[in-house]
Amino acid sequence: MTEALFERERSPGEGAGGPRHAGLALARQADGRLTAQREGRSHAVWVRPAFPWTEPARFLSLRDEDEEELALIEDAASLDPVSRVALEEALVVAGFVLEVTRVVAVEEEVEVRHWTVETRQGPRSFQTRLDEWPRSLPHGGLLIRDVAGDLYHFRDPAALDRESRALLWVFVD
Amino acid sequence: MPERLGITNMDSSLLDTNRDIIARYTGQPSRLPAELRRRIEQAMDGDPVQLYALVDLDHALRLTESWLALGPRHVALARRVPDDWSWDVRTFERARITVVHEAPGLSASTLTLVGAPGDPPLAVLRFTHRQRGAVENLRFVLEEALEGRAPTSDDPDALYADGVARPIRDAQALVAGRDTAVLRRLLGYLRPYRVPLAWGMGAAVVITGVSLVPPYLAGYLIDRVIRPAQTGAVPAARATAIAWLAVSAMALVYLVRQGAAVVRLRLLAVLGEWVARDLRGELYEHLQRLSLAFFARKRTGGLITRVSSDTDRLWDFLAFGVVDVSLSLVMLVGLSAVLLTLDWRLGLVMTLPVPVFCWAIYRYGEALARLCLRAWRKWSRVTDVLSDTIPGVRVVKAFNQEAREVRRFGEHNDDVTREFNRIHGLWTTFWPVLMLGVHGTTVVVWAFAVPRLLGSGAALSAGTFVSFLLYTTMFVAPIEVIGQVARTMNRATTSAHRVFEVLDTEPDITDVGDPVRLEPVKGRVTFENVTFGYDGVRQVLKGVNFDVAPGELIGLVGPSGGGKSTLVSLIARFYDVTGGRVLVDGVDVRVLDSGHYRRQIGMVLQDPYLFHGTVLENIRYGLPEAGLAEVVAAAKAANAHDFICKLQHGYDTVVGERGQTLSGGERQRVSIARAVLHDPQILVLDEATSSVDTETEREIQQALERLIAGRTVFAIAHRLSTLRKASRLFVIEDGCLTECGTHHELMQHPDGTYRRLVELQMQLQ
Repeated sequence: MTEALFERERSPGEGAGGPRHAGLALARQADGRLTAQREGRSHAVWVRPAFPWTEPARFLSLRDEDEEELALIEDAASLDPVSRVALEEALVVAGFVLEVTRVVAVEEEVEVRHWTVETRQGPRSFQTRLDEWPRSLPHGGLLIRDVAGDLYHFRDPAALDRESRALLWVFVD
Repeated sequence: MPERLGITNMDSSLLDTNRDIIARYTGQPSRLPAELRRRIEQAMDGDPVQLYALVDLDHALRLTESWLALGPRHVALARRVPDDWSWDVRTFERARITVVHEAPGLSASTLTLVGAPGDPPLAVLRFTHRQRGAVENLRFVLEEALEGRAPTSDDPDALYADGVARPIRDAQALVAGRDTAVLRRLLGYLRPYRVPLAWGMGAAVVITGVSLVPPYLAGYLIDRVIRPAQTGAVPAARATAIAWLAVSAMALVYLVRQGAAVVRLRLLAVLGEWVARDLRGELYEHLQRLSLAFFARKRTGGLITRVSSDTDRLWDFLAFGVVDVSLSLVMLVGLSAVLLTLDWRLGLVMTLPVPVFCWAIYRYGEALARLCLRAWRKWSRVTDVLSDTIPGVRVVKAFNQEAREVRRFGEHNDDVTREFNRIHGLWTTFWPVLMLGVHGTTVVVWAFAVPRLLGSGAALSAGTFVSFLLYTTMFVAPIEVIGQVARTMNRATTSAHRVFEVLDTEPDITDVGDPVRLEPVKGRVTFENVTFGYDGVRQVLKGVNFDVAPGELIGLVGPSGGGKSTLVSLIARFYDVTGGRVLVDGVDVRVLDSGHYRRQIGMVLQDPYLFHGTVLENIRYGLPEAGLAEVVAAAKAANAHDFICKLQHGYDTVVGERGQTLSGGERQRVSIARAVLHDPQILVLDEATSSVDTETEREIQQALERLIAGRTVFAIAHRLSTLRKASRLFVIEDGCLTECGTHHELMQHPDGTYRRLVELQMQLQ
């Protein structure tokens, strides 16, 4: 049992470095979906960053329709240029979060905190539970998850306007 | 009997709440705009819209408003035309869809509707998680259609509203009742205690009125007695008499005042306690009536606080807050009136700054709340470290990380201390400064008064001046209360909201007017085309049919998430089916007296829950009147008697919270003894032997065999070996009953699921 377990962990091409994705080519379809060509076979894949906040552009897991990992791309630079562009485009969708540019109001109500913000994608209001705090990200950003699971990213809270910073002061270190 | 369908049954009050939530919190339409709906239906050849969702991201991932609607034959997509803000409606036939795919992202998902292979997809829709509930409904229906099934829904508005509002509603269910309504309802709880309340209020009025007397007396004494006596205008003997009268009056005033204080404090404290008791009792009783679905939505900790600290806070408000606030107002008005009549010039000097002080205290409260919030956040980090590392101390030690954990704790500890000190910095500055302001007014009074006392300007007697000075000290307390009134009210209404939210939740499972009692239950269980979904659309059980005779042992097997636990929950009527019927002895469980019926059902669960109490109390939980001999017999049958006797206090051993003092296998056997004593006709066993060693497993197995004799049993187990004795095995996969038969019969199927599972487990062993 344990042996089988180890075997499985070793198998997905964890070799000793070198160009690991030699036979892999990525392309973007008209509908925006990513397809991976390997050993003459084409798979529709979805890209999932393994470290979306620590290393958003590295360790990208390509997963097929059954959620099986087809490849783990440690560095997009190891791909050919066409594949790389396709991957980066797909990453924009997969890594999408609402980018907050201004905080308009933060109000407390029973059980929920009500936020009104402006994001790069448009104005938005959302709610968080009172005992849930924004999360500090590795590179100085701030991330808020609302009750529905949507993510609101403050890339650099210190660079916001004065009013936004004042509203946010309670939630940043 | 009316057919209950989860979807259609969504009552209109829930729909209203959902719409309120959407309108108030999300800034998106609470339904498909009527005009657009007409246009979509036109485009779909007049077919009605069956289901719809908002799609809120465009292709460049900007927020937008587009709608995706589903008719019986078409899919419609409505987008805003950027130039004139009109709608661009596009439809295609549902029959063209070959694949539906949803790819989840960090904060946006992509739904792709694929047509013929090789063609560009029919639609690519991107939306934020807020819309996911509503979009998932559509996806589910489309996918089911591809499988040849046709789930229908006839209330698209309710489904859309529920999908969008559900996450917010789960966090906060009361939106409609705003603060004044909540406050009025809360004060309604005082109604049964009108008499003590009136007395308490009366006493408080007396206290306020009487407090105004001493300063007046002091002034009177100086102007009318002492000074006339000193100048000889009044004979000394008469002056002494009056002075002593004044002293006695003063004594009387204080006596009355403190007497009234006793009445007020006692009556109101006791009254508040009664009201809190009423609320707690009502709340707990209501919680016990609520269905499991409610507990699945709410956090247990939150519910515990509502019964404990929220009602406590309401006690504080009702006992003191209400009276304090109203009396402070009376006091301020009274004082101002007295001061203005005594001397309007000095009165104005004193009263004009009062609103400024109130405002300053209000602002201070707001600033303090912000600081406290920040400190609270940092404090929660300190407690997080504690609750992480103390239970996980083995891991810390195993990885030799003590030093790092100490450093981590130290950082958070320093951090929170800085915040606390900031709070201290604020209040230690604010109050002295505020008092300086108050004293400043007194100085101004002096500055105005002194020249007048010395004879220039309008005349002012020394007595009036002294009364004035004494009155000024009385301003501070009511100002403080009034300044904090917003916070007091806010805290009380918040607690009241949280309490009323629970009280206003209706149990999903209710008995019919004239429930049937089966006496005795024989134990025949029949499922007739049972469908069930927790949320009205996605079905966890999809048309399950079976008929189990009394005394059969049914083994339920299949992958986790397949619907086994849901199936047994329906037998116990923890939930009501969304379609079809569950019959016991030929009677629909929905017409049974649910309390009486559940007494006939026993459950031995995977993680047996033992209450805080003795082993005896736990075994007797379902049947408190059972005799000791019966308890011992049950424990023996459950192979529990021996280990119980080895415990220091035998059957009187107190088992802690969740029964932590006993091992898993021991708890399991106590819970089996509980079921044996309960003597149910229908028994549910949920993975009863999953986490114990072989020897214990054998003992439990033995106990179970004794327990199941003569009962209808539904046993869920992953270890198929434990089900060899089953009279029939049901394989539940993806909500359907896919295989059914004895072990031997099912093993005959060359590629049956059961056979595969058995072979898989054999390999592992």
